[in-house]
Formats: sequence, C-alpha cells, structure tokens
Amino acid sequence: MADSTPEDFNSIDFAVREHRSLWVDAWRRMISNNTARLGMAIVAIFILSAVFAHYFWEYDPRIDIDYSLKLKPPNLVATEDIASIHPFGTDKLGRDIFRRVVHGGWNSLRVGLVAIAISLSVGGILGLVAGFYDSMPLFKTERIFLLGGIGLALGSLSAWIAGQPLQMIFFAGLGISSAYWDDLLKGKRLRMLLFALLGALVSGMLGFLADPYIGIVCAVLGLLIGWILSLPLGGQTLSTIIMRVMDILLAFPTYLLAIAIVAFLGPGLEKGMIAIGVVGIPIYARLVRSTVLSVIQKEYILAAQATGEGHGRIIFRHIFPNTLSPVIVQTTMGLANAILSAAALGFLGLGAIPPEPEWGSMLGASYRYLASGAWWAVTFPGIAIMLSVLGFNLLGDGLRDALDPKLQI
Amino acid sequence: MTRYIIRRLITLIPTLLGVVFVIFMFQRLIPGDPAVAMLGEHAAQENVERIREQLGLNRPVFLDIDALREGDFAGFFDSQFILYLGRLLQGDLGNSIHRRIPVAETLALRFPATIELAMLSMFIAVLVGVPVGIASAARRNSVLDSVSMIGSLVGVSMPIFWLGLMEIMLFAVFLQWLPSGGRVSHAIELEAVTNLYIIDSLLAGNMGALVDALKHLFMPVVALATIPMAIIARMTRSSMLDVLQEDYIRTAHAKGALERVVLFKHALKNAFLPVITIIGIQTGSLLAGAVLTETIFSWPGIGKWVYDSILARDYPIVQGGTMLIAFVFIFANLLVDISYGFLDPRIRHE
Repeated sequence: MADSTPEDFNSIDFAVREHRSLWVDAWRRMISNNTARLGMAIVAIFILSAVFAHYFWEYDPRIDIDYSLKLKPPNLVATEDIASIHPFGTDKLGRDIFRRVVHGGWNSLRVGLVAIAISLSVGGILGLVAGFYDSMPLFKTERIFLLGGIGLALGSLSAWIAGQPLQMIFFAGLGISSAYWDDLLKGKRLRMLLFALLGALVSGMLGFLADPYIGIVCAVLGLLIGWILSLPLGGQTLSTIIMRVMDILLAFPTYLLAIAIVAFLGPGLEKGMIAIGVVGIPIYARLVRSTVLSVIQKEYILAAQATGEGHGRIIFRHIFPNTLSPVIVQTTMGLANAILSAAALGFLGLGAIPPEPEWGSMLGASYRYLASGAWWAVTFPGIAIMLSVLGFNLLGDGLRDALDPKLQI
Repeated sequence: MTRYIIRRLITLIPTLLGVVFVIFMFQRLIPGDPAVAMLGEHAAQENVERIREQLGLNRPVFLDIDALREGDFAGFFDSQFILYLGRLLQGDLGNSIHRRIPVAETLALRFPATIELAMLSMFIAVLVGVPVGIASAARRNSVLDSVSMIGSLVGVSMPIFWLGLMEIMLFAVFLQWLPSGGRVSHAIELEAVTNLYIIDSLLAGNMGALVDALKHLFMPVVALATIPMAIIARMTRSSMLDVLQEDYIRTAHAKGALERVVLFKHALKNAFLPVITIIGIQTGSLLAGAVLTETIFSWPGIGKWVYDSILARDYPIVQGGTMLIAFVFIFANLLVDISYGFLDPRIRHE
C-alpha cells in the first residue's frame, strides 16, 4: 500500500458509492416502483387537467342549461338527434358531464389541499410541541410562559364570576412567580399551602369588593388555582393538555364530525374545507408527536442540547426535518381522504352549492335518475372520485416504500 | 385485570365530558333561537317565552352570577349546561323540534337497524379481510398477494356512496334481483322483539321474512363492508409480515412445526393486536359511515335520521344522534383497550 495516494482512496470511495442525499435516493427508489409510477401518472393527469381546464377552458355553470339535451347518453360522433359530442353524456339540465367532471376536479383538489393545509399546520405544530416537551425539561423562561398562561386561563373563570379582569392578571402573576421562584420551599407542603392561601386571600378580597357571596366563591376558586399553580408542572403537563383535547376531537368518527360541523356552519365549499381540515387535526398531531418522541431519543439531539442550542433551534433544525417522511406519506394519503370526504359532503348536499361543478354533488344531483336508466350521470363522476383517490393512495404507498426502505412491507 | 379496566374507565370520563361539552356548544353556536325554531317565525312573544322557560333557555349558559349575588348557591349552578348534563344522566336528550317526540326513544327504536347493518358488515369484513391478509403475507409477492393488495387499495379508495349507487344500478335497476332500499318488504309482518330483523325472523321461525330481510341487507352490507375489509386485509398482511420476520418464527420452522401451526398459532396471535385496533376503530367509523349508506338505501337507522334532521334543521336529533354515535365509538375503543389487556399481559401491568 506504499504507493497509494489519498486520491486513490477518493476514487475508490467514489466508485463504491456516489454521494446522494436522502431525497435523491428516495426519488430513485420511487421511480423504479411500478405502483408509485402509476400513482404519479394518475395524480399528474388529474392535476394538469384541472389546472388547464380552470385557466384555459372557460366554463360558467350559471348559464350552462340546455333542456333540449336533457339526460342524453354518451356519444362520440355527432348525429342528427344530438348535434354536439358528449363523451360522458349529459345530465338533467342538459349539461355536458365530461366538461363538468373536468372542471369539478379543480374544486375537489382545492378542497383537498386547503383541508390538508389546515390539519397539517395546526396538527403538526401541536404535535411537535406536545412531543418535544413531553420529554424535554422546560427552561425557566418557558416555565414562566406556561404557568403564566395556565394562571391566566384558570384565572379567567374567577375574573368572569367577579366581573374583574384584574383577577386574570393576578393569577397570571401568581403563576409567573411560582415559575420564577421554583425552588422556594421545593417539595414541601408549605409551598402548596403558601400559594393556595395567597390565591384564596387575594382573589377572595377582590371578589369581596364586588359582592360578599362572590368573595366566598372566588376564595374557594383561588385556593384551588393557587394549589394547581404551586405544583411542579413541566412539559408533560403541556403535552397532556394538548393530547387530551385531541382525544376529544378523535372521539368523533371522521365523517360524522365533518357532517356535524358543516350542518352547523351551513353548506358551501369553503365550510366543507374547514370541516374536513378540523377533523384531520388530531390525526397529524398524534402522528407528529409519536415521530418526535422516537426522534428525540437519538444521540444527536443530546449533542445539540449539550452544545447549548435553544429549544426552538433544536425543534426546527434537528427534529422537524426528521419527522418529514411519515408526514409526507400521511399527507398524500390524507389528500385522498379529504377528496373522499369532500365528495361525501357534496353528495349529501352539504358541500359545493349547485350549480358549481363538484364530483360529489354531481352524484347527489343525478342519482334519482338512475331508475330511469341514466347510468352515465352517476358512473363518470364516481369514476373520477375513485381514480383520483386511488392515485393519491398509490402515490402515498410508493412514497412510504421509498422514504422508509426499512419497512419493506 | 379489574384494576386495569377501572383505570381505563376513569381516563374515559374527561373525554366523555369533552364530547358532551362540544355537542352542547354546537347548540349555542347555531344562529337563531330554538324556541322560535319550534314555534315558527310568527309566534306570539309570550308563547316563545313560555317555551324558553320550559326548555330552560332563559337560564344563563354556564353559571348564574346574579343568583350568587343574592346568596342563592343552588341558583348559582342552575344553568343551561348543568341542566343539560342532568337531563343527559337521566337519558333525556330533549324533544324533536318538528315532531315533538322524545329524541332518546326514537334513537332507541332506530338504533337496532343501524347496529344490524354495521355489525353484519363488520362480520363480513373480518371474515374476508383477515384470511386474505394472512394468505397474502404467507405467499408474499405471489399473484394472490398482488391481486388482493391492488384490490384492497381500490377498496380503500372507493367512495361508498358511489359503490352503493352502482350496486343499485346493477342489482335493482338492470337485473332487478334485489330491492333498492328499505329494511323489509311491506307485505312481511314481523313481531319486533330485538328489532334486529335477522334475529326476530329466526325467533319467529319465519323463513320468508329472513330471506326478505337478507335480500334487503345484501347491498348496504356490501357497500359498508368494502372499506373496512380492505383496511383489515392490508393491516393483517403488514402486521403478519412484521411478525414472520421474528426469530421465534424461524425457530418454530427449524423445530419442524407445520406451516399451518406456525402461521395460525405462533404468528397470528402476535400479529393480531394492531388488527384488533383497526377493527375497533373501523366499527366506530362504520356507524358514522352508515349516514351515507343508510341515505342511499333508505335504511331506517340513526344515520339517515340524523341526515334528514340536518336538512330539516331539527338540531336536538342531530345532537342526540351525534352523541350516541360518538359514545359508541368511544366504547368500541374502550373494548379494544380492554382486549389489549387480555391479549398482552405486559399492557395491563404497565
């Protein structure tokens, strides 16, 4: 080995393995996977046709009515009877179904994207915070914010009863001071007693100014809140609070919650987006949290902590990028689900408002004509829904295989 | 084990309270006065006041501060929310706005229809999904595996309302083999015992009614079972594949255990936890998914009732139905958790 130079080693190393990033690797794995390619092709066709139709194929649903063409079956050549070509047939108002299916894609994809954006941004941040602080000790400033916030929130109850906003400020201050002097009488009963009595006394006195009975209630509340604020609350408290709220949202079956939200907000495409987005929040929160919990055990996080990096920097530089791959997979499949839910809402008449073209509401408007044999009016919008959802699901499956080669299942 | 169950029940309380709170708040968020909705726009003011009094709508929402100022501690808690909670504990979900009938009674009457549909669908889904998943895992990358996995992906992507419509088109419109909706033909008379028509007809020994009920059940069950079936098959397959890579499976093979024994006795037992989770979650979703299926097949269950009430703006029914379905969903998840305790002793001692 005497005559080998460092360059030799470099070239050997280079020959063995060209340097590629995780994403390039994943991309190569994905385009060599048949199902993923099929998924990509389907998704690309739907996106391109929807975008091109929206910008280059003018369509005004409000004036699109022609009773002379009511419920005509599909035809590919013009005849004497039907002068125009309708590859998917026409619906009860004589509208060309092909045109409406293509334009409907724009609405369905839009609903999917906005809904996912809502669930991902809210759920993702909640999950990041919950997962991170579940196993990280809080800095003093963070504890001050947490306890101040808890004090403010709990204090709003007694502030509301007494009609004194001052009480909120007092309890926030009590929380902050509990966080600031966190080793005062640490682990002793006296600490609880001190804070509880302080809360009861000040809140009770303030309440007493408004009314003697209110004073009594405020004193009891103050005792409780002061006791809670004296406890050594840490990151786990924050994590538990977030996940409890998520559990409540998860307790409602998906469709039902979306339907209930729309039922109370009123129908409309935008409200459907909000409803489907809200329903998805806990799913992402849970996913991101569990991913964070597995990442945070790694040595490089410990190293980052040891070099004194701030919590924000650790979250966004070291943890966030490592949670991306499951989130990308879930987002792709979530898009499929959002399109499905939007179509369901539309079908029930709770989504897009007619005459706006949307696949689900097209089905809902024409299924009554099924008995008279108008099969085309329900077949083609349904195929559009199924194919687009299938495309995103295939893509999601392929992405999972590509991003997580260890899984291999 | 009892302690484990009790602990699970206690952690359920905040979730249940939260659900009740969310549903209660829905009522507050609807624009308009429920009393006016009951009586119509042109009702006399005094009648509206009387109804508001009856429903407790004249009370404050959470706590009565004015009563407290007068030293009335009982009055302090006499609020709409506490009243709502109290009624709920007595099983009173209020009255339907339009039909003036108690919501709880009708829900109890209609619930069996939904249960019959959902349980039968789940039964079929498990009966088909689990074996398909096991077979796919055992013959990984075979033709059977590819076909069943593509099939299950199509199943997951299927809009169930569209599948239902396609079924109606094929079996009811073109072939005319099956009825397009309802639970049972008008001519059939059946004494209601459990209100589950399959069981009722068996109890009465009425074979004609049984066949008729099954004919009505066929299409909605297929529509409703498709998605859970596909999900269960995928979950069973991936969970089995995970377990089949374990060392103890190789040991079992090395000891010369039969393939059948390894698959069903060694592997399936350990692969079943995630499958049970999915079955639990899907059972809850089935009840909610029934809103779509029941609407298409005019199935007289809760889902259709809730949907009709949304359109009619009859909110007590929407609230009651939503609450019932949410509670069943929570309960199904509880059963899953408890079954974990049975299947995996480590969990109950955690």
